[in-house]
Amino acid sequence: MQDLGLLQDGLALMALGMGVVFVFLTILVISVTLMSKLIGRFQPVPVAVDTGKKSSPSSVPSAQSDEVMAAISAAVHRYRSTRRR
Amino acid sequence: MDKLVTLWEGSGLYNLELGQAVMILVGLGLLYLAIYKKFEPLLLVPIGFGGILANIPEAGLAISALDQAIEVAKPAVLQQMGVALGATLDPLSNAEAWRESLKAIAHDSAAPDQVRAAKDIAMNVGYGDGMLYSFYSVAIASGIAPLIIFMGVGAMTDFGPLLANPRTLFLGAAAQFGIFATLFGAVALSSMGIMDFSLNQAAAIGIIGGADGPTSIYVSSVLAPELLGAIAVAAYAYMALVPLIQPPIMRLLTTQKERQIKMTQLRPVSKLEKVVFPLVLLILVALFLPDAAPLLGMFCFGNLMRECGVVERLSDTAQNALINIVTIILGLSVGSKLMAESFLSFETLGILGLGIVAFGIGTAAGVLMAKLMNLMSKMPINPLIGAAGVSAVPMAARVANKVGLEANPHNFLLMHAMGPNVAGVIGSAVAAGVMIKYLG
Repeated sequence: MQDLGLLQDGLALMALGMGVVFVFLTILVISVTLMSKLIGRFQPVPVAVDTGKKSSPSSVPSAQSDEVMAAISAAVHRYRSTRRR
Repeated sequence: MDKLVTLWEGSGLYNLELGQAVMILVGLGLLYLAIYKKFEPLLLVPIGFGGILANIPEAGLAISALDQAIEVAKPAVLQQMGVALGATLDPLSNAEAWRESLKAIAHDSAAPDQVRAAKDIAMNVGYGDGMLYSFYSVAIASGIAPLIIFMGVGAMTDFGPLLANPRTLFLGAAAQFGIFATLFGAVALSSMGIMDFSLNQAAAIGIIGGADGPTSIYVSSVLAPELLGAIAVAAYAYMALVPLIQPPIMRLLTTQKERQIKMTQLRPVSKLEKVVFPLVLLILVALFLPDAAPLLGMFCFGNLMRECGVVERLSDTAQNALINIVTIILGLSVGSKLMAESFLSFETLGILGLGIVAFGIGTAAGVLMAKLMNLMSKMPINPLIGAAGVSAVPMAARVANKVGLEANPHNFLLMHAMGPNVAGVIGSAVAAGVMIKYLG
């Protein structure tokens, strides 16, 4: 008789557990979808933002490159001169 | 001559019991699996080594000061402890009989304050808690180590694929059926009189099907600490076996045509979405399922550190240095539970058997759910990714990808399978929360 009780408890826990897992994840699906929509509305087209960010740095190096080259060659020169000694 | 006899009687060889010898062999077997077969070596090396340490005779590394005193103290000390525990020690019988009866009393019938008094006596005469026992009480009995590992897992998880296709969460939910079906299986076995599991123990065994090491250890440390060793070993060993267990089930339940289904490209997910997601999850946990808060809270915290982008150092520590340190301590503590008297029993075989069933049922449920979703939705879903719903990140997703490539060499499912994969982590943590709420 006690065994039957255990079996029933197991069955109840199985139903309850699967139910809760599904309900919770359904709520999560709904809220994630809502969140994505909201964010998409207030911060539209993340792709455009990305390209903007990427294109602006690409123009910077050409302006900086002279300075950078000067710095690098100075460093290399100094390194070589210290090594020879 | 007397001294020689004392030395001999204090040696490991003299005191070695059969059970301990067998457990040392089991420990060596785990090391073999870890080192040569590459079965989850990060965990099985510490677990196997801890198992060997725990079974060194007379060293008592895995037992408390009280147990140690009962096992090796002089008769005078035993008498003192007998008084403290309220036990009557028969003065005619020998010390060995006293040890037996004291052990039984200390573990079953004595009141907590009596046990504490006896422990104080043991400490006073110079016995201390074993090293592994201390590790266990700090790392696992307190629940800290699995939670810190979960934080690290959160810091390593990219929710991008899940956010791009949130419906894959349902696959992660379906695969948790493995947990509950196994729970029911364990209960059915004990009601038929084949095994003897309580409901708590059955729940802890079922969680093996969550295919998630830290979750399994956390749940069994709360619900059934006596089975923790076997459950952790089963969980990690089967996670390593995922590439062998899953593919036959996946092939059995799908047709060649279904395996060839191509899925649409995932949309790009903005950084803001990734930052907000752990917070949304945390709030939902707070509102609906506070019992999953320890696991999912740490998980969300780790993920927020990863995605917010302003605490690189913390995120880096959580997913590298910290998780490694905790893994060492966690592994050794789990090893301390591989003691002969608790591990060498018929029940352990049952746990190992039920564990593999749990993996199988979880995989099947995930695949079937994916087939159902494929029938109902307009977007095509390859049923193979359902198998990734049994967490085991990222192994299960790789398996889905591999089986998909066999059917169609140009069909890469890895990113699609990562969605249900991380959903499975959330799903098993939710299932753990429900079980702890219901039984804890």
